[in-house]
Amino acid sequence: MAELNCIVVTPEKTALETKAEFVAMPLYDGEIGILPGHSPMIGRLGYGEMRIRAGGKETRYYVDGGFVQVADNVVSILTNRAVLGTSVDAEAARKQLAAATKRPASTDEELELRDRLVIQSRAQIRVAARAK
Amino acid sequence: MANARKLDKRRKSVRNIRKITRTMELIATARFKKAMDRATAATAYTRRITQLVSDLASSGLEVRHPLMEPRAETNTALLLVLTGNRGLCGGYNGGVIRQAIPRYNELKESVSNVQLEVSGKRGITALRFRGIEPHETFLNFDDQPRFSEVEAIANRYLAEYAAGRLDRLDVAYTRFVSIGRQQALVETLLPLGGIEGADSGDAKKSSSTGESMYEFLPSAESILEEVVPASFKAKLFKCFLDAAVSEQIARMVAMKAATENAGDMIKQLSMTYNRARQSQITGEIMEIIGGVEALKK
Repeated sequence: MAELNCIVVTPEKTALETKAEFVAMPLYDGEIGILPGHSPMIGRLGYGEMRIRAGGKETRYYVDGGFVQVADNVVSILTNRAVLGTSVDAEAARKQLAAATKRPASTDEELELRDRLVIQSRAQIRVAARAK
Repeated sequence: MANARKLDKRRKSVRNIRKITRTMELIATARFKKAMDRATAATAYTRRITQLVSDLASSGLEVRHPLMEPRAETNTALLLVLTGNRGLCGGYNGGVIRQAIPRYNELKESVSNVQLEVSGKRGITALRFRGIEPHETFLNFDDQPRFSEVEAIANRYLAEYAAGRLDRLDVAYTRFVSIGRQQALVETLLPLGGIEGADSGDAKKSSSTGESMYEFLPSAESILEEVVPASFKAKLFKCFLDAAVSEQIARMVAMKAATENAGDMIKQLSMTYNRARQSQITGEIMEIIGGVEALKK
């Protein structure tokens, strides 16, 4: 069976380049799973856990927004940050969450910004908890 | 004739300086390689963003975003100046400052509220010396700027821009053109003039029917909404990376020149020293001969 070629790129470097049988990642409104032979697609990523299965072993990463592009069995993931699930700093995320909920949200832009921060920190806490 | 001992002392001190400058050159070379590697690694992201934008544009979507619209009236402008934390790098810091100050004055004339943010100790002191007090300073960027740190700054700018508290962002930095050429310049990052890839998509669109093979989740518009800030962040990050690489190159070149000059100076000093020593010896011998001659009489 064809294999997926999974490439994770962050602004700093190419974080990961690997073959995979299955990749699951968070889109903006829910999870998407990609198997070989997936139709070409460009999607907007949310915050959360990305799972890459290669050789029966599953690796979990935390991805911090961005995009995914699927074409010809190549999955390119563009994200601000991709870290292993085990190395997510839950403590920092909790602090960010506490700070975010205290932010003023009197205008639409501020509300949007606050929501984003809250979702981001909650996703980090979730991923860190599951990696334990 | 100069004192031989004095000359020897001077020669020794020049030799010590040469040792220091040569070490600095070697360090700058190593750092430059590291910074260069990082800058090359970062291009993968920009390339893919460009690809993404051109895919979006070829789907028949007009590439438009609030960040790309010029404001009708510019009330607040911000100038970000990227300099080094350390000196001894030739004209690197001076070049950026020379570009930044005219732009700052120009902005001040046309815009009512001008903010100035400076990264790097050298830039901060240089501007203070000229009586310009920056509103915000950063010292945490060295030869390897981290994206998370740059992103924090970028997010602040984006939030201010979205809230209407910022209408224009200029960045003064040294662009890395090639290893032999770096150029200090001021670039306007907000509003974004245009994203790379957007034009190539138009060309494709005219040739094909505008149907893209991609499925967009949730929609092309929503993805574009996210791509534009991402491309802004990548651009700002590239400015920091370029500045870091250019600084190391500038230091490398300056220290190489300093080492060579020290070598020339040592040669000169050795020559004068030898001459001085020779004439001292001759003088002493003459004295002795003179004494002997006097005793003979």
